[in-house]
Amino acid sequence: MGSIVPEVVNFAARNTKEVGDVLGIGASKRVEWAKGLLEGGPVNGTIFYAGEMYPVMGYSEGAFRILRRVEGLMEINHLAKIGPIMRKLGIYTVGMNSLWGGINKRYEKALQDAVKVLKGLGVEIGFLFEDEPPSGVALHTYGLLREFKEHANWVRERFKELGVKRIVTLDPIVATAFRLYYPEFVDGWDIECYHFVEVVAERIAELGLKFDLGRKIRVTYHDPCYLSRTLGVVDEVRFILSRIDGVELVEPERRGIFTGCSGDGGLELTQPPVARKVSLDRVMELKRTGASLVLTSCPACILMLRTGFDSIGHRIEVEDLASLIAEAMARGSERVESELKNFKRYKVFPKSPHFDSLSLEDLSKVLKMETDRCKKCGFCNVECPTSKAMNRLESRSSRGRVTLINSLVGGDPVRPKEVLDRLYTCVLCGRCSQECPAGLHVQELIVYGRAYAIYSGTVP
Amino acid sequence: MSSNIRSLLSELSKRIGKEKIFTEPEELYSYSVDASTEFKQPPAALVRASSEEDVRAVLELADRERVPVVPRGSGTSLSGGSVPAVPGAIVLDLTPMNRIEVNIDDGYVMAEAGATVLEVDKACRSYGFFFPPDPASSRIATIGGSLAENAGGLRGAKFGVMKNWVLAMEAILPGGKKLRIGEPVYKWRWGPDLMSLFIGSEGTLGVITRAWLKIYPLPEKVVRVLGVFDRIEDAGKAISQIRRRGYVPMVLELLDRETIEIVNESLGYNIEVAEGMVMADVDGPRESVWRIAREVENVIKDCGGRARASDDPEEMEQLYLARQGAYAAVTRAYPGVLLEDITVPLSKLMEALRELDRMRKEYGLRMPVFGHAGDGNLHPNICFDPRDEEQLRKARELFVKTGQLAIKLGGAISGEHGIGLAKKELFLEEIKAVRGEGYVEVVKMIKQLLDPNGIMNPGKIFL
Repeated sequence: MGSIVPEVVNFAARNTKEVGDVLGIGASKRVEWAKGLLEGGPVNGTIFYAGEMYPVMGYSEGAFRILRRVEGLMEINHLAKIGPIMRKLGIYTVGMNSLWGGINKRYEKALQDAVKVLKGLGVEIGFLFEDEPPSGVALHTYGLLREFKEHANWVRERFKELGVKRIVTLDPIVATAFRLYYPEFVDGWDIECYHFVEVVAERIAELGLKFDLGRKIRVTYHDPCYLSRTLGVVDEVRFILSRIDGVELVEPERRGIFTGCSGDGGLELTQPPVARKVSLDRVMELKRTGASLVLTSCPACILMLRTGFDSIGHRIEVEDLASLIAEAMARGSERVESELKNFKRYKVFPKSPHFDSLSLEDLSKVLKMETDRCKKCGFCNVECPTSKAMNRLESRSSRGRVTLINSLVGGDPVRPKEVLDRLYTCVLCGRCSQECPAGLHVQELIVYGRAYAIYSGTVP
Repeated sequence: MSSNIRSLLSELSKRIGKEKIFTEPEELYSYSVDASTEFKQPPAALVRASSEEDVRAVLELADRERVPVVPRGSGTSLSGGSVPAVPGAIVLDLTPMNRIEVNIDDGYVMAEAGATVLEVDKACRSYGFFFPPDPASSRIATIGGSLAENAGGLRGAKFGVMKNWVLAMEAILPGGKKLRIGEPVYKWRWGPDLMSLFIGSEGTLGVITRAWLKIYPLPEKVVRVLGVFDRIEDAGKAISQIRRRGYVPMVLELLDRETIEIVNESLGYNIEVAEGMVMADVDGPRESVWRIAREVENVIKDCGGRARASDDPEEMEQLYLARQGAYAAVTRAYPGVLLEDITVPLSKLMEALRELDRMRKEYGLRMPVFGHAGDGNLHPNICFDPRDEEQLRKARELFVKTGQLAIKLGGAISGEHGIGLAKKELFLEEIKAVRGEGYVEVVKMIKQLLDPNGIMNPGKIFL
């Protein structure tokens, strides 16, 4: 098959479908962190969902660190080629573990801390262990939407069989998938999904709890775009931090729904140099806050910020908010007034465009109509992190990518593979949509544009 | 690709480096449009200049090989200024040239062509100064593009347009020669004014590479006055009376009923719907600004309007909602919009507004009107459904009629957006009506002198 999808994306997609996670580490490794901590199966229909990123993010961090060091000699595509061979030889997971298992422990700890916090607050959760189906969100990110649809419908069946009604997760990317993408791709999707931060903030308010960290610390918080801009969860984080004595929050310039990108959105695989430049910009901004600890709530952001700080030689810890809460909770709590808080749910993006199907005809019809609405004002380019990273080259900027989708579906002589390459420079942070006077849901158009490029450019 | 472009690019890549030259169709198509949205033409090559030397090399070789060059900033032209009018051109992207240096002691800011207007303004603000021209696209529009188009903006009522703020500039001519005009001093005895020749020439004479721009102290205080009117003519009258009685607000904007309605419909706001709305930003010393604001309020009342003034930042923002949302609202509500940019003498504002209202009814199209009426500049937005051919035809006709109205009233067909491709015919009509044929002849002679091979942005204005 003559797929135009880069080898590395094929690698990620194949692993996601066959093994469950992008690097292909496997389910048994992905659930190790939970042993002895959680009981198997849903509790009252509720599960803690680890997802396919958090439990194995350390392996990605390790791999990316090595690739940065050997830049020019080896790239991610090589790993994508070597990986399957190593797996056939039965040395892949073992090799990965011996190399980067240590780094991975830190990500596993975040999951363990999150569970401790939830349980400490009386939230009843179970865990599916190796039965946990991967969300498949990477398929969506890379525009493999037909594959994602098939996968999502399979996931729905698995959840049904296992009696899952409610999901609590620490990963805002999978939370976005279950909350926004699944309803679009799975008929009758009725499983609720909450991010850890939402549940914790609500419980702390309801129980009227206050904690003491036992030390004074200046922290800054990096709002992950999926949590703040996409899901609209911003105030909960500030509320939680305000309930921990000893924590002084210093906000970076770009925060809340206007947060800056840490550089991934799948780019570390497809466009590592762009990802790194974007990340560099963000870590410099976070450094300027003078904080001694950077908190965030997304595994990909943790990875990008850690490696980003390393690249500028700034020694600072980056950890999940869950770990700080767990540390404070371990010292006990005091009761203050309980309250029912209605946290504001920020609504940033316009309604997603509706596609009747994933046929090329339907994709191109809607993409043409939507991209024709672009007034080319370029306001989206101003805040576009990859535009800045790529010295404002139009084809690597928000407006240029929309123009290219318009050209591709409009029949201009542009090549699907080359358009896809440029569309893969988008981090999907959604900052562009906030600036668009015409109200375009730009990052959705990018994902569907990727799909169109892939399916129109693939020669069976 | 023709052989002359091929040989040009091969030599150019030796001179400036191949990483600055792009020929893949995907790069070219992403530079094939601008904010005019009506025109599309990919260039044969894209060159991204990061220094004056790069620009010189391009213009030297392009002139030798007779290859058209279209200078481009951020591509925010509303008249097609940055879209090639002919195939086989080089688009010369100047955004990588974006250095800014503020010289506060001598009262100017030096900006390279690719620096954005907003960045220039920001650089001055840390010193308590600002750069007054503020095109609505200032966050992305470049200094080079704004000079080439002689852009204006909201603050034009008091501060005029780009040309009023230039002390000196440098441009590269076809053939690669550098032209320096003026000096960064506030008094400089001019010979023939070459500066004005380049400002507004839309890239048809050469490439502006940098400029030394005047700066202005930030106002001590601003009070925003909002006037609401039951008749649009009264809003027009209030604007001309504010000016007539000697008040010069920094911003003096007008919105009509259709604009307010569309803002409410499309952005979900709940702004009081009135036939006309006037917004004035009165600036001045702390001690006197409120007195002047009250006097402006009185003018509004004298003209039959209801007035409200505030210096509270939040309330000021509220008063600004309708104006701020106008462009977004129109673009959300209508996939097809032809944005007009006419200017009329202040005494003819009322007549213009009445006539525009009559015209939109005659054509059965929605045409919200807003604009910088304080300097006589109106932006009728002709809305249509691009899939409906009849509507498209009517919209185009109305576009021409609107321009003709401006000419009839002794105004101009473009206040700040430029002529480019969108208004070529109308511009010739305007010239014929009010300037006489000598103008075209002289400009063509100048063009012939500076650009004998006609490589600079051919097909624009009437050149």
